[in-house]
Amino acid sequence: MKRAQILMAIAAAATVAGLYLAFTSPTDRLQGEFTRILNIHAPSMWVAFLAFGVTAFASIMWLVRKTPRWDRLAEASVESGVLFTATGLFTGMVWGQAVWGRAWDWGDPRMASTAVMFFVYLGYLALRRATPDQEMRARRSAILGAIAVIQVPLVYFSVNLFRSLHQTQSIRPDGATMPREMLVALLVNFLAFTLLYIALTSARVEVAVAEERVATDTSLAGDAVKPPRLSEVKDV
Amino acid sequence: MRFWEQALEIARIDLRVERRLGDVLRIVLPFAVVSLLVFPLAMSIDLTTVSQIGPAVFWALGILFGMQVALRHAANDRPERRDLYALLGVDPAARFVGRSLSGSVLMLGFLLALLLAMIALYSPRLPEGWLGPGLYALLLAGIGLTELGTLAGEVTAGLRNRTALASLIVAPLAIPLVIGGSQTLESLARDTSILPWLLLLVATDLALAVAGVALARPLEEASR
Repeated sequence: MKRAQILMAIAAAATVAGLYLAFTSPTDRLQGEFTRILNIHAPSMWVAFLAFGVTAFASIMWLVRKTPRWDRLAEASVESGVLFTATGLFTGMVWGQAVWGRAWDWGDPRMASTAVMFFVYLGYLALRRATPDQEMRARRSAILGAIAVIQVPLVYFSVNLFRSLHQTQSIRPDGATMPREMLVALLVNFLAFTLLYIALTSARVEVAVAEERVATDTSLAGDAVKPPRLSEVKDV
Repeated sequence: MRFWEQALEIARIDLRVERRLGDVLRIVLPFAVVSLLVFPLAMSIDLTTVSQIGPAVFWALGILFGMQVALRHAANDRPERRDLYALLGVDPAARFVGRSLSGSVLMLGFLLALLLAMIALYSPRLPEGWLGPGLYALLLAGIGLTELGTLAGEVTAGLRNRTALASLIVAPLAIPLVIGGSQTLESLARDTSILPWLLLLVATDLALAVAGVALARPLEEASR
């Protein structure tokens, strides 16, 4: 088995375990069954932050080293990050509709800033698609990847900086603000989603390597076909 | 030539080119003022609502059309001009600073003209003593938007869909500037401290300036 397949199998197993715990852990007295959405929402957003942080690191490394593997990692990480941000936004809206009575609330700066972050990285992907030359693409997206990460702390601390409907951090250095069973389920899901991110990003990096191999393969299809030699042809 | 001499010289050339082309004065500003007229018409000219939304419309249009100022034709160097700067030994960081300086001058002129037009057309209810803090916010937001536009313009230089792509990058990243600018007046109206919002603007401007100077060389290579 390839490394990406092994990682995917481990991530899938961890996700199944996480979802099992999410559906069997106790619920909040006020939020009821909708508490369970947070087991997907919070880990998705954590992984999105991680992915964009990895992108910034890989972008800076590309600017320093100029080796293609950092560019591949940055691209793969952004794609995973955008996927998990979309998941986080969607699950947040479903939860908001059920608990706040509306899917989108302008009184919540975390929501608005997350949407902004989502569009910044869609812009990053659009920039990559718009730049045909491989090295130019790597260079331009590395610059944007290094700058765009400024959004991540803004999104994370928006609940502390502005008046917000969004709850502040539930897991703090002085302890968690939830029962032990809920905390265990949440932490297992954090781990599962992190593994899923690693598996998806690794698989995407492998796809990028294959794409580059195809793009740089200059041999013609005809090279695989050898002309017949007269001695081998009987009916001439 | 020293760093600041180079930066000032580039700013001077930019402003001279812009004076000849007149993109900001003849195209972007009239279009922005026309857009100011569209909002009241779309709301059946409800004077109370129009006076309430005036500052918000100003910031929204300021950011959207400010991007056009930052990405103006004069700020889009052709490859030959870039090569000339490189051969002359112009520091890429000085080029970024110079371009940001000229852009800031144009941006401030544009935002001030748009502000005056908004006050004339919308008769907004502005809090007492708004002029000083409002101008500070305008200055800081204008500088930040120019730096952001200069960075985005360099990243997308030479691409077929440069204007749309640069706007897509600038618009979301300009949100801290919109928040800082608009909340300054809101805080004045609520009689709370404006300091956090001015600090947000200063921090964003400084972060963008550091990023622009630090990434100037890779930016120059990327835009060839």
